[in-house]
Amino acid sequence: MSLASLRCWWRAVAHRGRVAAEAEEELRSHEAAYAADLVGQGLAPDEAARRARLEMGQPETHGERYRSAVGLRIFDELGGDLRFGLRSLVRNPGYAAVGVLSLALGIGATTAMFSLMYAVLLHPFPYAGADRIMNPVLLNQDEPLQDRWFGLTMAQYAEFGRAKSVESLLGFDSKNETLSDEALPEGALAVRLTENAARFFGVRPLLGRMIEPSDALGGGQHVAVLNYRFWQKHYQGSRDVIGKTIQLDHTVYTIMGVMPRSFAFNDTLGVGDVYLPVSTYPRIAANRGIPFSVIPWVKLKRGVAVAQADAQLDALVHDFAQQMPVRFPKRFHLALQPIVVPYAQTTGRALYLLLAGVVILLLIGCANGSILFLARGTARQQELAVRSALGASRWRIARQLLVEAMTISVTGAALGVAASYWLARLSLEMERSVFPPESAIHINLPVLSFSVALALLSGILFGLAPALRFSRADAATRGLQSGRRIAGGGAGRRLQMLIAAQIALTLLLLATAGMAAQGFLQVMHAPLGYQPKDVMQAGILMHFENPKVWGEIASREQRAAFVDRIRQSMAAVPGVLSAAVGTWATPPYSGQENGFQIEGQPGAADTGPNVRVEFVSPEYFATLGIPLLQGRVWDEAENGRADGVAVVNAAFAREYLSGKAAVGHQVRIPDLATHPPLVAASPQSGGWRQIVGVVGDARNDGVDRPVIPAVYLPFSTSLPPLAQYDIRTKGEPMAYLHAIREAVASVEADEQVGNGASDLEDAIRKDPLWSRERLFSILFGFFSALALLLALVGLFSVVAWSVAQRTPEFGVRLALGASRGHILWVAARTAAIGVALGIAAGAAAGFVLSRTLANWINSGSAGWASTVEAALLLALCAAIACGLAARRAAGLHPTEALRYE
Amino acid sequence: MPGRVDLPQGALEMLILKATSLGPQHGYGILLRIQQISDERVEILQGSFYTAVYRLERRGWLKGEWGESDNNRRAKFYRVTAAGRKQLKAETAKWTDMAGVVAAILRATPEEI
Repeated sequence: MSLASLRCWWRAVAHRGRVAAEAEEELRSHEAAYAADLVGQGLAPDEAARRARLEMGQPETHGERYRSAVGLRIFDELGGDLRFGLRSLVRNPGYAAVGVLSLALGIGATTAMFSLMYAVLLHPFPYAGADRIMNPVLLNQDEPLQDRWFGLTMAQYAEFGRAKSVESLLGFDSKNETLSDEALPEGALAVRLTENAARFFGVRPLLGRMIEPSDALGGGQHVAVLNYRFWQKHYQGSRDVIGKTIQLDHTVYTIMGVMPRSFAFNDTLGVGDVYLPVSTYPRIAANRGIPFSVIPWVKLKRGVAVAQADAQLDALVHDFAQQMPVRFPKRFHLALQPIVVPYAQTTGRALYLLLAGVVILLLIGCANGSILFLARGTARQQELAVRSALGASRWRIARQLLVEAMTISVTGAALGVAASYWLARLSLEMERSVFPPESAIHINLPVLSFSVALALLSGILFGLAPALRFSRADAATRGLQSGRRIAGGGAGRRLQMLIAAQIALTLLLLATAGMAAQGFLQVMHAPLGYQPKDVMQAGILMHFENPKVWGEIASREQRAAFVDRIRQSMAAVPGVLSAAVGTWATPPYSGQENGFQIEGQPGAADTGPNVRVEFVSPEYFATLGIPLLQGRVWDEAENGRADGVAVVNAAFAREYLSGKAAVGHQVRIPDLATHPPLVAASPQSGGWRQIVGVVGDARNDGVDRPVIPAVYLPFSTSLPPLAQYDIRTKGEPMAYLHAIREAVASVEADEQVGNGASDLEDAIRKDPLWSRERLFSILFGFFSALALLLALVGLFSVVAWSVAQRTPEFGVRLALGASRGHILWVAARTAAIGVALGIAAGAAAGFVLSRTLANWINSGSAGWASTVEAALLLALCAAIACGLAARRAAGLHPTEALRYE
Repeated sequence: MPGRVDLPQGALEMLILKATSLGPQHGYGILLRIQQISDERVEILQGSFYTAVYRLERRGWLKGEWGESDNNRRAKFYRVTAAGRKQLKAETAKWTDMAGVVAAILRATPEEI
């Protein structure tokens, strides 16, 4: 198209009225000139005007000629089709509503899933070059399922940054600190970042600035940048915090910035409340001979393959491991994980499955549209035949039908997109812990274009088959010949196929939903072995960097007494039923892995299997409701001595003592980690201990995994500068948090309960596995219910339509003596056969796919049982839908039916 | 008077270009001019005439402007643009070339082969 023709076209589109008026005026002036000439040739003026007008034709025709010459004809025709389509939709509101809603549900659900996937998997992090940011983890070759993060000393960090494949490097370290300028001391997670943070993340702060390289000057500037949520909670989102100060562990920092809501670094080790320059890390730790280290995040150079970078850095890390063997596993290799991996692994597959589910839902919606269209098309055969007889080409009729289909699908899409925004947000908000905290749902360009494409595609999908069918020449002539429609023929078979496909897909969805729900129920009803209701877990980090406080609790006895004093003070709070110490012993993930030996049994602690070692106080078992099965729990005096006693769980007795009476056996944990001075250990911590009791199995490896054999030891065996407490309360435990804080402060004014204090029951609900299973079973259940509803609506409308079409025929049959049962069968037959075929096909597919599906949704059992259940449910619902719709046929009166038109 | 001539495809547009190249003219004037020059031997239907005019205008070879006609009526006058003139020249050359070749073939006698 040249520029001139574009201008011409635009003028005709934009100034429609003026262009039409000009074309008419031109015609008139031509007419007048012609008439004047005719008069000149001797004609009477009247006759001349008449002839001129006759020869020139209608002004409308002339206008059309103009529009057609500038290339607007196709638009005029499509506009006509659209107007006609809308008019016929408005005339049949029931039909239109079913069609539009079917597609709205399908498109809405698909768009929602797509935007969820986009937000979670394709674009979850706000960081610059997020797809190149890697999280280096060590894969222990002896424990292949466990990966772990690792720290680098500042010298190693510098060496790491010089690696060829690395564009930039971020080092960070998280530490719980006390907000010491508050009335009651409170914990805040301080994340220290290397001073290149602003550049590395490339995220624009909401207020002020991020940590900058200049903050490293002069041994570290005491500046702080706040996390959004922390800012909201502590400063009520006040914009004048910049320049104010915040006190952490009695050190004053100046607030320089606030990060936006989407910045939630770091979700794997805990989202920081306050971000500080790494140079401000307290020097005490370094003074005590523990080299200060940071955890690295690596941003690869553009175009560097992960495997290549992996190999380079792996060699480096192995060098580090030789310098500092304690810090690394014996045999390991380095893996660079894209930062989205933890989510992609667990959530990604299920999301893909959900996406497949909603695509099926969309197909069912399209099939509904198609069924309605076919049904209505048959009723409109006469109209179409007349159009064809008047000279409409096949293409013209097919286009008309397609435009009508598009009208429905685009309307449906508009509704669907609106609904999807809400649906995607809902599922994201419902189970926050399943997704990266940064991900937020936006209606963005990729999502919008996805749904527009979807709308057009589904319009074509469901409109094309009927359009082609009804535009055929023979269909047209048949429509003219028969005023009365008799069932059967192509439309009937086609409907049957569509119904069968719909039912088969619905069955698959229902079966998958059943499996997902089963998986969730398994997780939910798995016996935990402890009673999480009304128990609070609270941790207290001791101030090892403060010489004054630390000096008073440096020895093991002093520290054990201190930990117990706090426990007693907590237990004295009114409403607290019992309080126990359980450091690193909070189910469902508890204990540290260690090798062990049983007296009289071979097997070296080095190579043998590991047990979970948990350091607890004697009240621990009663507080958590873990039953004592044999023997006794150690007493107060033994608790103070720490050595010589142990309690094991039933799994330990079963596994290693072949179920014999475990009490009386000797067990030892040879290499209990001791890092004096931070961790104080009892003199014989690694020595032989008598098993004095056996307790029930409480989950220690997650809610869905089998319980690992565990050994419980008195907490004073090994005392890190952290103590965790389990507190059983009367009623809602978190309501006691303030009282617990006061109880702690009454023992030592500067100690505070960390902000990780949580309700154990709540913690299970927020367990990613638990909430993931729940979310997916809810979503699948929701989608399959929608699918069922759509399929039944389709079924119902097919039968109802065919009853309406065939009423005269039924009249004849009734008049000739057919029984009502027979009529019912005849009316529902097409649909019923379709349903039967669909159930057969769906069940077959379900059986074939059940193993794969069960794997994908982590459901332990293969899903054939749920396929059978789904088939039965579907058969029942389909029978009801068909029966309800066909009932009208059976209730007809012959004479009325014969007169019916 | 010799019989009427049916115009081959595309010729009408060339004639309209030619007629307007002799001076700006309104639609009816162009029609008359073509008929005059051809001695009334080409017959042009109103419908195809205006379709051709509009197509030429769309391509930017003609430009229409409103003005006064001889009998003081408002009329749309068409004028050839520079691009139109170039097109006319090219078309004319093509046409004479083709006509010459065809005529030569048709004139051929057995001796010449």
